[in-house]
Amino acid sequence: MSSPPAIDRALLQQLAELARLHLPQDRLGVLLPRLQRVLAAFEALRDLPTSEAEPSPYPRPLPMALRLDAAEPALPLEQVLANAPRSAAGAFVVPRVVEG
Amino acid sequence: MNALSQLSAAAIVRGLRAGDFLARDVTSACLDRIAQLDPTLHAFLGCRPEAALANAAAVDAANRRGEPLGALAGVPVAWKDNFVLAGEIAAAGSRMLEHYRSPYTATVLKSLEAAGAVLLGRTNMDEFGMGSSTEASAFGPTRNPWGRDLTPGGSSGGSAAAVAAELCPLALGSDTGGSVRQPASLCGITGLKPTYGRVSRYGLIAYASSLDCVGALARTAEDLALWLDVASGLDPADPTSAPCHGGVFDRLHDRRDLRGIKIGLPWELNGPGLDDEVAAATRNAAGHLRELGAELVECSLPNVAHAVATYYLIATAEAASNLARYDGVRYGLRRDVAGRCEAMITASRSTGFGEEVQLRILLGTFALSYGYHDAYYGQATRARTLLRQDFERTFATCDLLLCPTSPLAAFPLGSRIDDPLSMYLCDALTVPASLAGLPALSQPCGFASDGRPIGMQCMAPAMRDDLLLQVAHVYQQHSEHHLRRPLP
Repeated sequence: MSSPPAIDRALLQQLAELARLHLPQDRLGVLLPRLQRVLAAFEALRDLPTSEAEPSPYPRPLPMALRLDAAEPALPLEQVLANAPRSAAGAFVVPRVVEG
Repeated sequence: MNALSQLSAAAIVRGLRAGDFLARDVTSACLDRIAQLDPTLHAFLGCRPEAALANAAAVDAANRRGEPLGALAGVPVAWKDNFVLAGEIAAAGSRMLEHYRSPYTATVLKSLEAAGAVLLGRTNMDEFGMGSSTEASAFGPTRNPWGRDLTPGGSSGGSAAAVAAELCPLALGSDTGGSVRQPASLCGITGLKPTYGRVSRYGLIAYASSLDCVGALARTAEDLALWLDVASGLDPADPTSAPCHGGVFDRLHDRRDLRGIKIGLPWELNGPGLDDEVAAATRNAAGHLRELGAELVECSLPNVAHAVATYYLIATAEAASNLARYDGVRYGLRRDVAGRCEAMITASRSTGFGEEVQLRILLGTFALSYGYHDAYYGQATRARTLLRQDFERTFATCDLLLCPTSPLAAFPLGSRIDDPLSMYLCDALTVPASLAGLPALSQPCGFASDGRPIGMQCMAPAMRDDLLLQVAHVYQQHSEHHLRRPLP
């Protein structure tokens, strides 16, 4: 007997909220079977014995040389704001977050 | 003499130094060809003819004054839409960044400029590098020069099509799970994914940071050696970059044959699931390598069967994290809606990201979420260790590994785009080297009966990019697959 899908409708909706994505019902209906099919194909990985293996967040050891902890000139403010969808008074504009 | 747009990068550099032609004429020839063919191919998302011609004129002026020319002087180069160039749009194939103009320049583009390359324009790609056909571009698909109803592969499909159609001799790509090698294979050209860390990624728009590599596509291995020497090295702006030896191009011609080279054929990557013609072409190429002096041995990578799952869990987890920065505040698309700040962020992301990107963000969010993290993302990072150990064991007795680049030749546009799993399986042969951070190269090794090109992939131990290029160069000196072109 095959195992139940790793993702159901409720979990997918919750993931969308976490990822800040709006999934209308029709999109959810398309994405859910696709994700279920992908995860079903990945199930065998869960059975791979890995208890002896250390995790590898990177592919190989790297020097990971850090720069000196010294302040360097930043981009000019007008360049930083040039790509902002909305800006005013030298700042990014966001919707109101504090009521009052 | 060949038409100037047909010249390799190395031939352009040699010709300029000999005074055979001007850099301006080479650039004009490429721009003319782009104007002629790109309305159909859609390899480019943006060209900068005036700036390119000015760059070329500056190279000619320096040449006239007798100044030393850079290693890529006068060579027209295209770059994938996920590299940033100051003042130019870098959209990463996404509506999210459609109007984004970078305030700074990627290190690899600076290196190209310093070497005298002429920056032509930016090429089409799957959105944020997430795809294997360039159909996931928000700006429409690129067509394969070998057949207009075929995909060029992806995600660097625009770069691959541009080089294959002789719109330029050299193009930058990025390779996270095969995005340089697979389109190189499907378009009949040569593509290099260097060792992870060998080329700085500063200024490459991030997809999956433990996998992303800057790569390049050209029509010869010789041109990729030229490029690698220009692009390699430690960059203080990229902590994952590593010091490495240059001189790859100078040593390229040291080897006349392949005597003393032991090439492993992992049976897991050379048998099951391959198209018959792809398997046959790779077998024939392996035989040719043996005739050139290489020793062929059977070998095994026992954990490679889990590579696709491992790759997609790690890549999507990292993508979910990297793409969290697109919130409609500092840059990128914004959709203002009534309600709190979160509503604006959600509306912006839901509008700006395409279907495949949203699917991968959701998959990555799942792999990282409470209750699933260890079973999926954690398990994948441990499986990655086992795969890396497989490679280490194999490279203890082999110099290189060989397999096809893609299980199948170029496939029709529209045939896989609605089935993510079948698209992901196209990457089965390229993701193992990505997970282990190894250098890998794809080059043409034959053609299907209907004329579609077939590519083979060689993988080498870390930082042996030089050996990969030497072997590819020897093969190309004794074969003609890489010389066949799709368009007059």
